[in-house]
Amino acid sequence: MSKIAFETRSVSKFFPGVKALQGVSMQMRGGSIHALLGENGAGKSTLIKLITGVYRPDEGQLFAGAEPVNFTRPHDAIAAGVGVVHQERNLIPRFSVAENMALSQLADRTIAPIDYAALNEQAEPWLDMLGLDVEPATQVSRLSVAQMQMVEIAKALSQQTRVLLLDEPTASLTPMESKALFDVLHRLRDDGVSMLFVSHKLEEVKEICDTVSVLRDGVNAGENIAMDNLERQDLIRLMIGREQNDAKPRHGRSGEQSVALELKDVSTSLGHKGINLEVKRHEIVGLYGLVGAGRTELAKAIMGAAAITEGEVLRDGQTVEIDNPTDALHGHRIGYVSENRKDEGLILEHSVLENAGITIWRKSANRLGWLTGASVKKRTVPFLEKLAVKTPSLNQTVGNLSGGNQQKIAMAKWLAAGVKVLIVDEPTVGIDVKSKAYLHELLHELANDGTAVLLITSDLPEMISLADRILVMDEFVIKGDVKNTGDYKTMSQSVMEHIHHTEDELRRAKAS
Amino acid sequence: MARLISQSDWATPMIVAVSLGVLISLFNPAFLSTFNIQVLLEAVSINVLIALSQMVIIAIGQMNLSVGALGGLAAVIFAGLMEVFGLPPIVAGALALGVGLAGGFLNGLLIGLTGISAFVITLATLSIFKGLNLAITQAQPFYEIPDAVKHFGNATLFGPFPIIFVPAALIVVLLVVFFNRLPVGRWLLAVGGNAHSAELSGISTAKTVVIAHAISGFLAACAGVLLVARLQLGQPTIGDDWLIMSFAAPIIGGAILAGGHVSTVATVFGVLIVAQITQALVLFHIDPFFVQVVLGLMILAAVSVNQWRELRMQRAGQE
Repeated sequence: MSKIAFETRSVSKFFPGVKALQGVSMQMRGGSIHALLGENGAGKSTLIKLITGVYRPDEGQLFAGAEPVNFTRPHDAIAAGVGVVHQERNLIPRFSVAENMALSQLADRTIAPIDYAALNEQAEPWLDMLGLDVEPATQVSRLSVAQMQMVEIAKALSQQTRVLLLDEPTASLTPMESKALFDVLHRLRDDGVSMLFVSHKLEEVKEICDTVSVLRDGVNAGENIAMDNLERQDLIRLMIGREQNDAKPRHGRSGEQSVALELKDVSTSLGHKGINLEVKRHEIVGLYGLVGAGRTELAKAIMGAAAITEGEVLRDGQTVEIDNPTDALHGHRIGYVSENRKDEGLILEHSVLENAGITIWRKSANRLGWLTGASVKKRTVPFLEKLAVKTPSLNQTVGNLSGGNQQKIAMAKWLAAGVKVLIVDEPTVGIDVKSKAYLHELLHELANDGTAVLLITSDLPEMISLADRILVMDEFVIKGDVKNTGDYKTMSQSVMEHIHHTEDELRRAKAS
Repeated sequence: MARLISQSDWATPMIVAVSLGVLISLFNPAFLSTFNIQVLLEAVSINVLIALSQMVIIAIGQMNLSVGALGGLAAVIFAGLMEVFGLPPIVAGALALGVGLAGGFLNGLLIGLTGISAFVITLATLSIFKGLNLAITQAQPFYEIPDAVKHFGNATLFGPFPIIFVPAALIVVLLVVFFNRLPVGRWLLAVGGNAHSAELSGISTAKTVVIAHAISGFLAACAGVLLVARLQLGQPTIGDDWLIMSFAAPIIGGAILAGGHVSTVATVFGVLIVAQITQALVLFHIDPFFVQVVLGLMILAAVSVNQWRELRMQRAGQE
């Protein structure tokens, strides 16, 4: 077995009132990919922050190789060869690829003029090594999400990184892009780099990781276990402490139901052309596509946030014109759960109650137009309970809750509003397995109760376990309509056939 | 080459500034008279410093409401030191610039240490700086300005080029180098673009904020000192009307208020556009009070264009 590249030995981290981590040990070896699993709130982020020098452990010791190390700031970790690719994008959008990669060098200098040509030259070999066909002088804001991810990896590697932490690197990548990323990770592994891979997608973890450590409620639930001996179910049991059944594929009962939402030859100001789509009551229709295919944009057009330039929108068979999201909600009972819950779905500084009640303020106001807490509570609490939102009180600030609970609240507010058509955009991005299962069950129940659901997700397993039909969108056009058989292999094949992804990507790479 | 120009940040403001000049001189050839150009350049020289003083703060995604108050304080200190204590202009000027630097440093320190928003901090220091100004001057101007200073503020070098154009041009060149070539200048843009990421790469946000505000204070003081030389008196009201100008020119120059993107050259053209329109209103005998209205409309137009561009860029990034 190869040498230990990085080790945490019984580390603990306490915050006022919370034991975030207690006695956590983990060994990462050279030339191997180590998975770090755990539900949201299990302590993964805290552990990563300890390893990257953002926090200091209250107990225990970190070792880089055999040497004990004490990081007091992120710079120390970088100097010790520990690099990290964060979940949120960490590049300066207006800077070039090369300058972003060299940012920590620039931090050490003050007035010695920058030689951009030299920075570009420095960056080139790393980009080549990752097979990233991008000029080092390109401004980062012009890159795709997947390319930015690669730049972050290149940046980490260029800092002589031998220990690379990847925090949910595939969260916003398409399957194809993820595959390309895995190829790179395999190559790095062959070069002896030690990697820590954090992901909620267990299929991926099983596919590329060699060993796994699992955290549960801040303690080790599994330590350096070889992946070969584990099944998906074993991983889940380690994470949540019990068995969990995958949501079964739906068997639609929507055949003879009436159409709740229909688009006829719709074109939008955002660039959609000739979109035909119908969602019946009791039906979950999936809208699948790659990032940038125009799915979220279509949802926004339906909600009236962007103009529909041609064609018709029908709601329960009636032609309607939806001018803005308020109109969509109050006039037509259409709700939209944004993919971007932090920026668009919730007001993070406000309380649980205020967030959940925001859609029904109009309805809950009494005759004088006054809004009372009691009337809002009466309408929202049943839904918050139904979704099992974990919050100390209704007055808790939403920003302090976990991602899964935030998403539940984002959904609860639409349920409270009694929408008949619900558009859900990437409902489970960055959410742990348990909350994910809850949300899936919830969507099933909603559809069974008669709501027409339009589901946008890039997570194909999720799509297959939820949708009755899958519409495939690419470049703002609907390319196909696939009936869901529930069989992952055949489904993923037929969905992919509609996209011709590889050609597209080549073309895009050349264009940029 | 053509592509280089069309992609640069300053191309649009430059084209607008030049066509505006051509247009105005077609209607009124007096616009191109030596005297008129001199007046134009005098206004531009000082306004550029005011605009850049704000632009440096916009670069880090903040705003500095105290630009005018601090510039005004430096101005009356400059004039007061010469009149009351009889200090030579060089010494008085250096001290006044030092006050600007210190005032900006204080702004930055308060913001960096407390984490309170720059809006609130500079609102408070605006009041403090203005109060000090009035306490020093008792709201009366200093009239005794040495002849050398008056000459410096009003003489020309070759034809229409005012002497005060030289320090302004020098500062513009220094800032272009600062923002494009020096690591410390890139810190400002990095912090404005993504503070979290800059911090993780080892760039100290607090330090960067202090540096930006110190530079801002220094530039405001430069504008104040030059204005005393040009007006030939130490007016306590200097700086009162700078705020709108200070934001208008960088915005017209395409600066993004969220931070991370500013262009020094484009800001200079922004100042030129504003100055030309102001002068045109005078030349065509339009009520000068309309200048404010026009300025407001131009800010609105510029933000709309910036927003549209930003959207287009995002779209391009996704494809």
